[in-house]
Amino acid sequence: MVTPVAATIGASRLGQIERVDTLALRNSRLAPGDMLEVRIRRSGDLDGPPQFQSFKVPYRKWMRVLDALNWIAENEATDLAYRWICGSKMCGSCGMRMNGREVLACWEAVEPSMTIEPLRNLPIIRDLIVDRTPYENKVARLEPWLERAVTYPGFPEPLTHKQMKDSSKALDCISCMCCYSACPVIGLGDLTSFAGPAPLVQLAQTALDPRNDPQKVKRSLALTDIFNCVSCYKCEEVCPASIPIVSRIIEPLKAKAAELLPHMAGHSFALRSIVAARGRVDPSALILRVQGIRALRNLPRVFRLLLRGKINPLKTFLLVKTAAAGAAHRLLNGKVRRR
Amino acid sequence: MKFAYYPGCSARSTCAELNVATHRVAAKLGLELAQLESATCTGARELRAIDPAGFYALNVRILALAEREGLGLMTICNTCTLNLLDAHAAFVSDSELAQAVNARLADEGLKYSGRTRISHFLWVLHEDIGPERLRELVVNPLNGLTVAAFYGCHITRPPLRYGFVDSRNNIALEKLAEILGCRPIDYSGRTECCGFHTAAHDEKVALKLTGKHILSAKTGGAQTMVTPCPLCHTVLDSFQREIEKDLGQSLEMPVLHLPQLVGLALGLSPEELNIDRHMVPTDALAAYAGKAHGSVNDSR
Repeated sequence: MVTPVAATIGASRLGQIERVDTLALRNSRLAPGDMLEVRIRRSGDLDGPPQFQSFKVPYRKWMRVLDALNWIAENEATDLAYRWICGSKMCGSCGMRMNGREVLACWEAVEPSMTIEPLRNLPIIRDLIVDRTPYENKVARLEPWLERAVTYPGFPEPLTHKQMKDSSKALDCISCMCCYSACPVIGLGDLTSFAGPAPLVQLAQTALDPRNDPQKVKRSLALTDIFNCVSCYKCEEVCPASIPIVSRIIEPLKAKAAELLPHMAGHSFALRSIVAARGRVDPSALILRVQGIRALRNLPRVFRLLLRGKINPLKTFLLVKTAAAGAAHRLLNGKVRRR
Repeated sequence: MKFAYYPGCSARSTCAELNVATHRVAAKLGLELAQLESATCTGARELRAIDPAGFYALNVRILALAEREGLGLMTICNTCTLNLLDAHAAFVSDSELAQAVNARLADEGLKYSGRTRISHFLWVLHEDIGPERLRELVVNPLNGLTVAAFYGCHITRPPLRYGFVDSRNNIALEKLAEILGCRPIDYSGRTECCGFHTAAHDEKVALKLTGKHILSAKTGGAQTMVTPCPLCHTVLDSFQREIEKDLGQSLEMPVLHLPQLVGLALGLSPEELNIDRHMVPTDALAAYAGKAHGSVNDSR
């Protein structure tokens, strides 16, 4: 939980405590020859409880997680299975979890004590190797390509940097699956049909390209269940390519979905119109607008909330405005399509 | 010490107790709060996706209101905090956007110049009040109360928005809990997501996610959870009955708003802090409220 570095720094701003906890600093806590404690999840019986094997690895300067794995494979466990090709943050094949966080083994400094596990949310083939087939099938289903609605106007195409900025950001993706492993909604399996961050990044490469046929983009977005993204930013936090997945990929895709498939964004339009009318969100009004008759399923909760004075039906039904209503109405009266 | 105060929508509706507790605790801490009465909603997660222009207008307007008062802006909701931080960052880095937003604000004589400091109550406690002063103000140390800190997403992520780079390293709530005399526990849910932002249209994700977190807090020995975000609180507390049904087991985990936990240690009574307004009974915490106040149970 609390790293020794963070605990001993006397900085007054918490942000500064975090900023100094860099990989170089973590590495500086070790001297060549120090022994690292490395626990690796081995596959063994895949249906049984996880099995861990412990190793002691001698630290050498600038050691990465990948170097530690290579040392183990050469000296202690020649049957250890893990993937890597480029060793330089390009191929995206060495994604794994170290001490509870998704990392690229080739780009992560070792820590004195490490637990290394395979990525989550994909089937394990062996040891640290996961099966990427479910991801690849998902991406193929989203048809992540460009179909022009109009004929190619010839070179150079009249495109601005601003029009291309989000789709070009998506091209930085190295398909390492770190975000897919970190996504809590994907972790819930079949509970939703949310496509997940990595497939959405792949889709965004062409869906956010202004040359793409809106009908084609609409077809793809209809399969994403994109409004089940919980906006937790876990994908952004672990992305080794530093792609702002929520703000530059998922939100622009949501905007496209709201434009092309407005029924998918019903709750967003409902929130907007409630704020425009009242200045603030009235949660009961929002639930009634979004869920309609389905809201009745939660009648017991409604009574409990009433009992504790947490909701006020009078305010909801009398459409009570707040002191903020005037400003909200003025600023939100633009021409965004409403449901 | 004076702040412009932005409670957000939740603290003025489904989590009204948070607003009450914040005012009481602020008075104890010597924080003067100037309420921005005409401040609108920041647009939750919805507006920023479907209507970015509207999103920037609402948020920058709130920042301009605080700037006009010459005050820093104190928030008590994670999602509002991130919306305001994001709008501020976009405003100062995109002069075209800044001009367009200011043109819309000019109608009511407002203009933002990018000077408002945005600070969540949690950061105000650490950075403005400071641990030393806070320690002096603790008159009722919550001796050994085991607390599971639930950060919520938007106060810790995305990385670098406020300066955090790895949410595994978050320590602000645990440090605070220790100052108040509590014993913070480690558990798997501390920086995980409650799923609130999909709950209005489909709450099954929130129920499943938060079920795991409460269960891990309970297994870790927590007597109560504490959160700096009213949206997380809504799922953790108001949805707990449905979560129990989904899990098929009883949880009975009390969940406090951050100012309520602070307030107990500063000697405020459970009634003053509206702790009896939660859906999950907080009776188990009665023994930790100051002896002078009796128990939460008695106050009902």
